This record gives sequence, structure tokens and C-alpha cells, in this order.
Amino acid sequence: MTAQTLHPRVQVVWVLRAVLIAAVLTAPFAGAVYLDRLPEWTPVVAGAVFLLLGVGHALLRYRRWSYEIREDALYLDRGVVTQVRTTVPLVRIQHVDSRRGPVERGAGLASCVVYTAGSRGADVRIPGLTPDGASDLREELKRLAIRADGEDAV
Amino acid sequence: MKLAPQSVPYRALQKVSGIVVVLFFVVNNNPEWGFAAATAVAGAVVLLAVGYEVAYYRRFDYELTEDTLDISSGVISRREREIPYRRIQNVDVSRSVIQRAIGVAAVDLETAGGSSTEGSIRFVSPDEATRIQREVQRRKSADSGAGAGRESTDRAGGGAGAGPDAVGPAEEELFAISPGELALVGALSFDGRLIGLLAFLSSGSIPVLSSFVPEASAVALTATAIVGVGGLFLVSWMLGAGVAFTNYYGFRLSRAGDELRYERGLFRRYSGSIPTEKVQALRFTDNPAKRALGYASLSIETAGYAPGQGGEQGSQAAVPIAATDRVYRLAREVEAFGDPRFSRPPKRIRWRYAFRYAVVVGILVAAAFGVDWYLGAGLPWYAPAALLVAVPPAAHLKWKHRGYWLGEDHLLTRNGFWSRTVTVVPYYRIQNVIDTRTVFQRRWDVATIVADTAGSSSIAGNDAAAVDFATDEAIDLRETLRERLRVAVAEHRDRRDRFEWFEGDVGEADAIGESTEAIGESTEAIGESTDEGDEPIPDADNEGFSDESDEDQSEIPDDGVIRPDFSGSDRDYSEPAERIDTGEYAVDRNPSDIHDADRGEDGEGEGDEADEKGDEADAKSDRDDGDEPGADANDADK
Repeated sequence: MTAQTLHPRVQVVWVLRAVLIAAVLTAPFAGAVYLDRLPEWTPVVAGAVFLLLGVGHALLRYRRWSYEIREDALYLDRGVVTQVRTTVPLVRIQHVDSRRGPVERGAGLASCVVYTAGSRGADVRIPGLTPDGASDLREELKRLAIRADGEDAV
Repeated sequence: MKLAPQSVPYRALQKVSGIVVVLFFVVNNNPEWGFAAATAVAGAVVLLAVGYEVAYYRRFDYELTEDTLDISSGVISRREREIPYRRIQNVDVSRSVIQRAIGVAAVDLETAGGSSTEGSIRFVSPDEATRIQREVQRRKSADSGAGAGRESTDRAGGGAGAGPDAVGPAEEELFAISPGELALVGALSFDGRLIGLLAFLSSGSIPVLSSFVPEASAVALTATAIVGVGGLFLVSWMLGAGVAFTNYYGFRLSRAGDELRYERGLFRRYSGSIPTEKVQALRFTDNPAKRALGYASLSIETAGYAPGQGGEQGSQAAVPIAATDRVYRLAREVEAFGDPRFSRPPKRIRWRYAFRYAVVVGILVAAAFGVDWYLGAGLPWYAPAALLVAVPPAAHLKWKHRGYWLGEDHLLTRNGFWSRTVTVVPYYRIQNVIDTRTVFQRRWDVATIVADTAGSSSIAGNDAAAVDFATDEAIDLRETLRERLRVAVAEHRDRRDRFEWFEGDVGEADAIGESTEAIGESTEAIGESTDEGDEPIPDADNEGFSDESDEDQSEIPDDGVIRPDFSGSDRDYSEPAERIDTGEYAVDRNPSDIHDADRGEDGEGEGDEADEKGDEADAKSDRDDGDEPGADANDADK
């Protein structure tokens, strides 16, 4: 399996989220203008900056995200500001979920969550999959985990 | 088995003690009718509590069965719980002063699952508590001896290999705290939380206090502040010392078979057991003072919660303090890691730390300037800049105390100057390997590698981390850890398999052990092949069998070993697949049989029966005419 990227539509989800966050962050500025504490251009500028950062982050995030199932481990490579590469040995997989949140359902996407006994990487989440892709990946990982025949070492 | 009968009144009193406090206030506030009402309420509540506890006592029942500990409990909502012995991480017994006086003890059993204590038996007699502890250990080792891998004995090393017997293995003392060490623990314990609490409280009272001393001079205020802060430190130091003293009074660590046992406590006695096979990580901590005196602390981590501490303060089932070489000797008894020689991050990284500290100093100066400007006091706001002198040594020390070392079976990492932590993680215990690079780390071309375990303090983010190593080295480390984990798992599996299935036929077991590598490699190809292979299956089910699947079915070689179909792969799969139930059908069609039921639901339900008939017919005809391709495949394999 070569490195897989996410479904492009996940960008829409992330951009929408960025817009929402930008709106929330801009609200105090708008409030301050309403109370005549700040000049009128500030919420516009702040909103634009937040939006630019958020959307840029969302797009870069999509570009950075990749996952790959190699011979004995699942590799995830992600993160814009802090790049994170996670190696999940297949023998350590405890269980695998595929899940669809309301937003994901709206966008016709799903994600796959891999659990190990480790506490920090307890949920390794692969977002932006098609619903079929997510359940296929879940089945695939489950099968490989069974085949890897591991112990949980706890 | 039942609880101790004394536990009924004790538990009832425990429950109502809170209400007594409330009633006290009621009585105080309403002297006329308060007392009578309070007595009535108290009587009712006590009766209610005693009634409840009697019911609880009657309902509560625990039993040590062949391979599980069963607890059934609950008055209103009933619960039956079975805890397999193999899954028990630690068994802790604690007895407070009152509990000791009335002769009861609380038993807590921790497993790796869940966030709270899984088995809580409140209360039994002390003898019974000890019996549970011993019995769980005995049955656990009997259990693992019967089937599930005896990895623990090898790891426990010298003298621990003795099998379980009726009496239980002899106890061998590893460590007992001496009065001098206990005094040292107290002296070096400083409870910082009190300062935080008092600072929080006093921040609210400053306006109040300042109204009392309106015209006090700045000098007097400063002096008071200094005395106050000094007193605060003294008090928290004494409190910390007192807590540590009572906690670690009479600390004793011993080993019995493949289990570590500890005892400690002055007022509340704790005792517990940790199976060595459950040890996730060892952690040495020291600080400059301890290092100067040649002392260190050791904590032993399991996946259960830290004994006696509910996971809040980290494991105290550890050696609170002892001479460094003694601590290391003790730790090697538990995990035989070698003599570590840490490799440090690249020297250039000191510039990064220096830069970071310089920025902190800059922020301090800026804050001082801001305060000075706001107050207009003309204070020397540039004073914090003097800290710049300390930046180079600080950066150097930070660099000097970082490092990692790859031992034969363990990863060791070291971090921190003020509170230096050396973490020992067996490769076998690694759950994930995480490689992180912040934007600043990327500028310096370095990365952090974290080896995640199931240990309890990993929850607090104290994982074994090799911080700020050159990217190439970090990638090497990451891959090495993955590889060594694979080897360690294969070794464990080998040992387990030999025990379970081969019983003495070591030659065959060895062959399998070697072949695990090949099988491990093959998983990738299996993944690939099913990507294509999954698709035809529904079709095949609906239309009878297509030609493609006919071929799949026909490949039953002469030797009767049905091998997975790896079509489209160049690999050599001549090694027999391990542990695959070769029934009538080729194993790779639905490699996990568990899921067959699901597949039936995937919309092919209507034709299932007819299909099955068709399958059978097909399979028969396949076997009749399928010899030729099968033989071919076999030849190709050879």
C-alpha cells in the first residue's frame, strides 16, 4: 500500500470549521466596535486574518495528511505547525471504529479510529474517508491485526 | 465469600459523618428546636444508613473461582463482575488507623481497563485481605503456567523461576527504608501545591489586608512579604516532609516469585503486589540536590492505576529514595537493562535552548518595563536582564541531561535538569512510536521521538521521549524501535507458541519462529491482494462462481496445505501459513471467519441458500478438475 491521501472533500469540512472559528474569534472585535471601543476597520482586518490563517491551515493540513499500511504497522503523517508521524504496530491494535459525525455525514465522509492500549495515541483518527473507504479500512486493519496475532502487553 | 461483619457499622458511620457536620451547624444556628430536630434526623439517617449497609453486606459476595475473581454486589442496581486473574495488574490493601483498630482492610484490584478501580472489596479482615492477595497471585501464575505464556519467569530472572506451590513462593526482601533515608525523603519533599493554594487564597485577601495597613511604608510591606513568603515555604516544606514521612514510614519492597510486594505507611498502612510481567516502565527521578548526595528515586509503572494514589500523584509503590547505585541494582532485578550510555542531542541544539531562554528573559524585561512605566516608579526595570548571564549554562545543562540509549531489550530516555527523569521502556511494551517536529524544531532540523506505553503516568504525558535529535537519527530511532518491537513480539509469541502447541517439539517451534518474519512481511501483500480480491466476492456469490474464483478454489496442493492466494504478488509464499484453519474452502476468501455473519447481511441474503448449494457443487467440480493448476502452483512454489 502506498501512502494514501484523504478525500479532497474533507477540505470543505475543515474550511467550514475554519470559517466558524474565525467568526467566533472575530465576534469580540465586532462587539468592541459596537461599543465604540475600537475603530470600525478592526473586525474586518481581524476577520480576514483569522480566515486566512484558518483556511490556509485547513488546506495545508489536507496536503500534509497521509496514511499508509505497511508490512507491520500503520503510519500516519500529519500536522502543519507541528508535524506528527505516528507508527502504530499492527500487533498493538486493540480495536478499530469507523464513525460518522453529523458534519461528516453532511459532507458524505467518514473517519476511522484506531485504538491501542497506549494512552497518548489512544485514538489515532483518520478523517476524510468515504463511508465505504472507512469501513473497508476498518475491515482491513481488523484483519491485519488478527493476522498479526499480537498481545496487548498490558 | 462475605465481607467482614464489622464493615457494616463502619461503612454506615463513614456515610453519615458528613451529615453530622451539617447537623452540628443546624444545632448551632437554632438553639431552641435545633437539637431535637437534629437528633431525630440523625437517628433516621443512621437507621437508613445501617439498613442500606446491611443490605449491601448481604448482597456483596466475592468468590475466587478457577480463573476469575467474581464479585456480585449492589443493593439497588445489581452488578456481577468477573475479573480474569491474568488481567489483574495490582492488588492493593490499605488500612487506616480506624480500620486497623476495628480490624478491617480495604482491597483494591486494578486492571488495565476502565478509569476507576475495577475490583473494590470494602472491607474484609486483614488476614482475608492477605489471603486474597496471595491467592490471586497463586492462581494467576497457575493460570499462566497452564496456558498463557510464562514470559514473566524469564524476565524475573534469578531464583524467581520456581513454580507455584501450595505455600506460595518465598519472599525475598529487595529494599527496606532506613531511618536515615526516611529522614532524607522528608527533607527533600517539598509540597508545592500548598504554595499555589495559599497564593490563590491570599490573592483574594490582599485588598482586605491593605485596608488594615493603609499608611505602612514600602519597606515594612516588603519585609512582611519576604517573611510571609519565607514562612510559606517553610510551612509547605514541613507539610511535605510530614506527608512523605507518614507515607513512606516502614517502606519495604520485596519479591515473591514473579511478583513484587510493597508495604508502607505510618497511619494508613498500604501494601500491594505488582506482577513483574505487568511492569510497563521504570522511572528514575532525581534533582540536583539528590544527585549531589548520590541518591535517586525509582517508580515502577503498570497499566493499572498507581497503587494507593488513584493515579493522581504517580506511583508510590516505588522506592522513594536510596543511593543511586542501589536503586539501579534494584531496577535491574526487575528489568535487566544493561549499563546505559546515553547519546546526547547534537551540540548545536544548545543554541536553540539559549535562544529560548533569552526570549524568556526578554519577556521578563518587557513585563518589568511595562509595570515600571505603568506605575511611573522609576524602578530598575532592566534588572531581569542580569538573568542573561545564566542563559548559556542553563542551555548547556539542558542539553547535557537529555539523551537516549538503545539497550538490548530496553529503550532508556533521559530528560530534565531540575527534575531529571530516566525512563526505562522494554521494547515489548511499546504501543506506538510518535515522531513530532514543531515548526521551531524543523528550523533546527531536529525531531522528538516518543515511545508510548500503556503505563499509567503516560496519561500525564510523561512518556519516554528522545527530545531534539537530528532528523536522520530520529527517523533511524523510530524505525529501530518499530523493528525491535516486532522482534520482541515475535520472541514472545515464539515462547508462547512453544508452550501452547509444541510442548517440547522445539525444532518445529523454531521453524515457525523464524518464519514469522516472512509472515510479517506478507501482511502487506495480503492487504494489497484483498483490495482487488474483495470486489469479486459479492459478484461471485450472486452469479455462482466466476472463472476467477474457480481458480481460487482449485488451488488445493497435494500436500493438503491450502495457502492464501497472493495473486499479483512476486513474493515467495512457500512458507506454510501459520495457524490458519484450513477447512473445505480456501482460507483467504474470508480470512477472519468471525466476519462471515456480517457478510451475509451485506445484501446478499436473498440468494444465500441457493448460493451455498451452488458453492458446494462448484467446490466439488473444482476438486475434480482442479488438480492441474494446483499442482502447477505447487511446483512454482518449490
